[in-house]
Amino acid sequence: MFSSELKKGSTEMLILALLESQPRHGYEIGKLIESRSGGRLTFALPTLYPTLLRLENRGWIKGRWVEKAGQRERCFYRLTPEGRRVLADRQENWKAYVAAVNEIMGTGDA
Amino acid sequence: MRDWCAFVRAHLHLPELAPERESRIVRELAAQLEDFYREAIVGGATEADADAHACRQIHDWERMAREVRLADRRHARPRYDRIVEPRLERFVAPPVASGSPVPAVTRGGRVVLANILRDTRYAVRQLLRTPGFSSVAVLTLALGIGASSAIFSVVNAVLLRPMPYPQSHDLVRVHEILQKFGRFSVAPATFLDWRAQNTVFERIVAMNTTGATLVGAGGAERLSGGLVSWDTFEMLRVQPALGRTFRADEEVPGKDNVIVVSHGMWQRRLGSDPTIVGQSLTLNGRAITIVGVMPAAFSFMGDVDFWQPLALPPNPSRGGHFLGVIARLKPGVGIVQAGAEMKAISERLALQYPSASANESAEVVGLHESVVAGIRPALVTLLAAVGIVILIACANVANLLLVRASVRGKEMAIRTALGAGRARLVLQMLCESLALAVAGGSIGLLLAYLAIQPIQTLSAGSIPRAATISIDGTVLLFAVVVSVATGILFGLAPAWQASRNTIGTVLKEGGRSSTASSGRWVRNSLLVAEVGLSIVLLVGATLLLRSFSRLINVDPGFRPEHVLAFRVALPPAAYPQGHHRIAFFDRLLQSLDALPEITSAGMTQSLPMRGDYVLSFTIQGQPAPKPNEEPSANYRVVSPGYFETIGIPLLRGRTVTERDGEKAPKVAVVDQKFVDRYFPDRDPIGQGIDIGNGTDGFFEIVGVVGGIRDDSLEANPAPTMYIPFAQNTFSGMWVVARTPGDPAALPAAVRQTIRSIDSTLPAFAMAPLTTVVSESVAQRRFSMLLLGVFAAIALFLAAVGLYGVVAYTVSQRTQEIGLRMAIGAQRNDVLRLVVGGGMKLALLGVVIGLVVALALGRLIATLLYEVTPFDPVSYSATIFVLLAVCALACYVPARRAMRVDPIVALRQD
Repeated sequence: MFSSELKKGSTEMLILALLESQPRHGYEIGKLIESRSGGRLTFALPTLYPTLLRLENRGWIKGRWVEKAGQRERCFYRLTPEGRRVLADRQENWKAYVAAVNEIMGTGDA
Repeated sequence: MRDWCAFVRAHLHLPELAPERESRIVRELAAQLEDFYREAIVGGATEADADAHACRQIHDWERMAREVRLADRRHARPRYDRIVEPRLERFVAPPVASGSPVPAVTRGGRVVLANILRDTRYAVRQLLRTPGFSSVAVLTLALGIGASSAIFSVVNAVLLRPMPYPQSHDLVRVHEILQKFGRFSVAPATFLDWRAQNTVFERIVAMNTTGATLVGAGGAERLSGGLVSWDTFEMLRVQPALGRTFRADEEVPGKDNVIVVSHGMWQRRLGSDPTIVGQSLTLNGRAITIVGVMPAAFSFMGDVDFWQPLALPPNPSRGGHFLGVIARLKPGVGIVQAGAEMKAISERLALQYPSASANESAEVVGLHESVVAGIRPALVTLLAAVGIVILIACANVANLLLVRASVRGKEMAIRTALGAGRARLVLQMLCESLALAVAGGSIGLLLAYLAIQPIQTLSAGSIPRAATISIDGTVLLFAVVVSVATGILFGLAPAWQASRNTIGTVLKEGGRSSTASSGRWVRNSLLVAEVGLSIVLLVGATLLLRSFSRLINVDPGFRPEHVLAFRVALPPAAYPQGHHRIAFFDRLLQSLDALPEITSAGMTQSLPMRGDYVLSFTIQGQPAPKPNEEPSANYRVVSPGYFETIGIPLLRGRTVTERDGEKAPKVAVVDQKFVDRYFPDRDPIGQGIDIGNGTDGFFEIVGVVGGIRDDSLEANPAPTMYIPFAQNTFSGMWVVARTPGDPAALPAAVRQTIRSIDSTLPAFAMAPLTTVVSESVAQRRFSMLLLGVFAAIALFLAAVGLYGVVAYTVSQRTQEIGLRMAIGAQRNDVLRLVVGGGMKLALLGVVIGLVVALALGRLIATLLYEVTPFDPVSYSATIFVLLAVCALACYVPARRAMRVDPIVALRQD
């Protein structure tokens, strides 16, 4: 498990990344983070949901109520063009940061 | 499975969010909790375990609410809406108990009422939150509404309020029309014929002013009185407060020893004695019985102290015109019909008495009209001027509101997004402007109230009925109507503007200056209009100022400085003969001359600016003119020393001297105008004139003096003849005394001198001659001062408006200015950019205003003296002043723009 400080800075980026390929609803986003990290990263609802609202208010993602056959109505979020740009930016930054950190730690590939 | 929506709603409290937003969040969280529940069930948990699992997902609801609030700040409702609104709604539209449906109409009415109540309170809170904006707006409106209410109170008292008599619309004034002079006073014989022959009047009465000296414990006092036909009070339909009015048999010489006194005199001189009726007073040395006291509210013939029957002799004059005539129309008779009959009667009389009444006619005018006709152009001009001030104030506040509306564009857009209709938004904005207008109107009314006293002082003597100026119900109603009308007028544009914002436009512009571009056009137009209106007012004020300065600098032909003037009237009982009067006045003038502070003294029966006295004459050796076509001239009876004292220069021959006594050869002095008109090609000295003053024989012209402006400063000098007092005595004379010092220091010595000769004689109407002259232009001064004040207000408001718009533009263009400076623009370039932008608008306003001013110029032509309505000097001065003020108003914000730091400006988002 990682400290909350470490997680805080990356929550937004993770959500944006998960929405890059397709629209998803809130529960699905939480579950995906958990499963893809092998259970090492979990976000409680009180952290995850306000972040979604914040991203939506910034205009980076957009929620839409959709009713799929046989399922209850859910709010699906998708990336806005602005959100896509922000994600690209953050990923770029993240990579550079990780590379730099690795370099210092002496754990880099190079 | 539990109702997850209800569960979330029960735990999550988000009252500060708009209801729509809150319900979306509840739905979404409920959906997610349900997902957790279903997952647990699928994983094999019991319903109870699954439920507990889902519930655990949010263990700290407080934190959840806090986080959501923080993330969703932008959707928060104004505090007022979420705290006061629900209570207000419960109050206005209480929850309806089931089974007793409220009729739809009532419910609709309640909702509208609730909206208005809420909007008003919200508006007031909004305004209190921005005290700077609100106070500027309220003060602007207060100036506009205050000025207009003050002027309206004058218009109301003078022009609108009916005369203070029952059925006063039936009262008319009847004039004689003389071929030479136009509208004129009425000759007594003519009046008696009118009274006998007319069929259109219920009653017709005549009046003349009089005066009387009352000697009592407090010394001698001069009273002013009215001689009136016996049935004057019946005609006015006014009852006395005490006693009776006159009887028909008291209108006869010898039986007229009765008076009715005014309420003021009854209180002041008679100690409010309720048993005064039937008691006697000694007036002018005669015993007079008081028969009645009029009520306090009664006023007739100005502020006179008493009325006495007008007792005309059995065979009165047809040539001397000195009566005022008032009549009450019979029911059903109009002014036109009455005028036609009076004209017919007069023309018949003219044929009947060709020697005295040739070519005479008559005219009937409404009494109210005849009182106010002279002042109407000035008041209408002032009313128009305050109308302009109000428009400027409206434009100013509208501009302020527009700027504010663009700042608040986001608020409006969100209200729209949340379902507020356009009408609802317009209503809310109008509530704000009305709240401003009501506040401005209240302060304005207070200003108007404070202005009444100065206006009364300023208008005393120059405006009829000035004493009745007050803030009454009509003025209050006017102020309310003007406030509401201005509130709607200046609120409509900004309200419309603000309601046009949609969430889309606001978000597109990043929530900033959403109406910047669309509002600029409206703002600029308002500003141009403001400048244009100011020009119109300023031009008007400058024209009046210039004509007033020309008028007071005009040479009156005499030197009023250092001269004290006062009146002395000898009671006929004590001074019955000419030689009595000559003896008294000789002694008075000698005693005055002997005073060390007086260098010379003299007297005349008709002081410049204080009355007119015109007589016809014939020139010796010329064929007798036809009746009523004799030449005429101002007639002045003067003492030796009069010309020297008042400063009229002698041009040829000599003036009146001590030698021109009662028995000496009759002489006359004429003025240059008289010579120019009647002796253009020969020497007047030695010529004889026969004056229709009741004396026989010719007066020999012995001198020529300079002409004076006798009627008013604006009227050109008229031909005048001066006769020695000893050769045609009067009992009432104006005495003038010249001093090297301040004439206002003389009265005590003068009164003492008079008392030493006759202790029963008061000197009255005492004033420096300069005051007399200046009072003659009081009406012009009144119009000029008020118009000047309004023009100054207009200029100030226009400057504030221009400053506001330019300052706002600068704040909006900070980034652009920063960019310009970053790429090399100098401070002077910025100055030019900002000032140029503002001045372009000002210039456009000036051009439009000038066109309007030129078009309206003719309207104030009647108020001008020797200045044309198109006077280039006034126009250039106005343009210069206005542009200078505008430049200053632009320069202040421009200086701020010049100090913009490009780095800071560009870093701003």
